[in-house]
Amino acid sequence: MSTVLVVVTLAVGGVAAVARYLVSLAMVRVSTAESFPWAVLIVNVVGSALGGVVLGLAQNSGMSEEVQLIVLTGVCGGLTTFSTFSVETIQLLTHGRWRAASLSVGANLVVGLGACAAGYALFAG
Amino acid sequence: MAVLVGGLMGTGLRLLADILIPHGNTDFPFSTLMVNVLGAFLLGLLVARFWSAAEPWMKAGLGTGLLGSFTTFSAVMVSVISLSANSRWLLAVAYLVLSLVLGFAAAAIGLRVGRVSTAIDWVDE
Repeated sequence: MSTVLVVVTLAVGGVAAVARYLVSLAMVRVSTAESFPWAVLIVNVVGSALGGVVLGLAQNSGMSEEVQLIVLTGVCGGLTTFSTFSVETIQLLTHGRWRAASLSVGANLVVGLGACAAGYALFAG
Repeated sequence: MAVLVGGLMGTGLRLLADILIPHGNTDFPFSTLMVNVLGAFLLGLLVARFWSAAEPWMKAGLGTGLLGSFTTFSAVMVSVISLSANSRWLLAVAYLVLSLVLGFAAAAIGLRVGRVSTAIDWVDE
């Protein structure tokens, strides 16, 4: 693994984190406080779909390992988050918002897995 | 800027975990599981212990940037789809369930530890 590849992957991860931050800012404006965690759902689904596409392309056309690393580890990894997802879920539960918590977890899993599977199926050939 | 730097470092630490504990498309992704559980715990701890007094740029840099990018949701989805596509169903289900159960537990413990340590400080004062 070359130094340039690592630097590019980290830089891309940083930019993807900024994109996630911008989504969270945009969602704060349209939703009321302590409501459904839309921002995490959006970034997680988009990142999972892209991850599925890369998985399919890698299997199909032999996408180079370098590009796979940059997109999977950098873009998808930086854009999506598991820590915020977990903490927000527990916070909803401690506020007695069982419905919102289960809807959020269910939506992340069903739509996230569905988007990843669809991306994979479309490009795996 | 704080999010960019945090995201860059979080991606770097996640990449390091992948390099230290490598896994193929058909293996159990221990590195991702470890990263996500650790990240969920640390974010819970930060949120409960320091967030009420933290500057906005610190929250964005450490929470959204560093820990948000350290952990990943897309890699979980990609591994579940990849394991399933290789007919390793049991491993896929076990990995998904373990990620969720351990991730949520870690977030809950982090939040609890943060609250308790804050309360102890109050008593001391």
